[in-house]
Amino acid sequence: MAVTVSVFQPQLALHIPDGFLSLPIILVTWILAIALIAICLQRVQATYQERAVPLMGVCAAFIFAAQMINFPIPGGTSGHLLGGTLAGVLLGPWAGSLVMAVVFIVQSVLFQDGGLTVLGANIVNMGLIGTFGGYYLYRSIRYALGRDSLRGVLIGAAIAAWTSVFVSSIVCAFQLALSGTVPLNVAISAMAFWHFMIAIGEAVITVVAVSYIWRTRPDLMYHPPRHAVADTSRSYSSR
Amino acid sequence: MLLHLGAVLLATESQTNTIWTRLTARSRLLCTLLIVFATALTPNGRWWTWAMYAIAIALLILISRVPLLPLLKRVAVELVFVSVVLIGTLFRQGGDVLFQWGWIQITTEGLTVLGSVTLKAFLSLLTVNVLILTTSITALLHALAELRTPPLLVAIFSSMYRYINVLVDEFNSMQRAARSRNLMSDPRRQRTVIGNMIGSLFIRTYERGDRVHQAMLARGYSGLPPVAKMPQPSRLDIALLTLTIVILLIGQAIYL
Repeated sequence: MAVTVSVFQPQLALHIPDGFLSLPIILVTWILAIALIAICLQRVQATYQERAVPLMGVCAAFIFAAQMINFPIPGGTSGHLLGGTLAGVLLGPWAGSLVMAVVFIVQSVLFQDGGLTVLGANIVNMGLIGTFGGYYLYRSIRYALGRDSLRGVLIGAAIAAWTSVFVSSIVCAFQLALSGTVPLNVAISAMAFWHFMIAIGEAVITVVAVSYIWRTRPDLMYHPPRHAVADTSRSYSSR
Repeated sequence: MLLHLGAVLLATESQTNTIWTRLTARSRLLCTLLIVFATALTPNGRWWTWAMYAIAIALLILISRVPLLPLLKRVAVELVFVSVVLIGTLFRQGGDVLFQWGWIQITTEGLTVLGSVTLKAFLSLLTVNVLILTTSITALLHALAELRTPPLLVAIFSSMYRYINVLVDEFNSMQRAARSRNLMSDPRRQRTVIGNMIGSLFIRTYERGDRVHQAMLARGYSGLPPVAKMPQPSRLDIALLTLTIVILLIGQAIYL
């Protein structure tokens, strides 16, 4: 057990390297990813106007920094945040997916976290499924439990964060198996076993972060609660 | 605590004047993309193709005079993903069985997949790292803009690149503050503290975004940042790009 854990730990971020996927999978995922980025750019440009560049830039740097922090996950080892659902909850599906895609591109080009050819697959797994899927799951749970209640938001965020990480890992396993790199049963059991735990860590951190923002600056959330008055005069930062 | 502590300090551009650095950043980016895509998309088991590409990449490393130690260090970190394939090899059917023990068996097909995937990942990593270690980020961003990447996307990249270090620093100082108050000892509380840190950093980030926007407006910003003129491609660029394409095509033609 301890050995498996130490072997798996560095690749827990779901970032597939070059050479692991076959041509058909790469083509399909690239087409999906490019379409996603194009639509996101259009929507973000329309929503934020000329605020888009500075805001998306700092938010992408924020997700990047948040992914670097390791925390203990229930199960004995440590993991780090993927942040897909967190980005979706805070920035909405379009801006959230755009920010995540930008983060993956920068990680793959500058830090080789994931390959260039499989960038499309990584964006689809964690941007489309993680952020987009995570956001809509969160939204439906939140609206079912009451739009302006903290309980609805937190339960929605927790379930969405866990599901998005777990489902992305299963999709990633299917991509590896369909490419003939790893047999399906091995890929799914390795990914599912490991990401079951990682997803719990993701859900815990997402819930704590969202409840902090709800308590201090609810007006910054995407779909803020109705009672939150836009009280932007007080600032937390000194720099 | 940080995963990429060493990796944040990159883009130590080697200022040597080589044939590779005399190319425009756009040609370098194109060459790299061509080599990586050709390497990674070659079907498993085509050893001679990769042998040829490996020679080409070795030549590239030679002429670009990349410092070897940083290059190998950056490549070594990323080969861990191969362990999944290694485990997969033990359970794969097909081909001749070389070794068997209960359910575990090693077959020729399993070894072919393992060798091919490892080799492809290794060669691609080498190529990308040569580009990153010889080309500054600003030049890469200009190259992206010249290759018709949406200007909004390039602008977001450059604004993100500017703030990565600022936010990582801010995270580090928050973590130091938490540790100096003994908040990081108990794992359960540690998760709460880190969650709160991420929440509070988001608020700061959002406000920083607004401040940056105000500052940009004050300096006459109106939608997209201005793009500087870049050096035009010379005959050398065209020659080396053609050479790359020819080598890649010959490599593929071996198995036709």
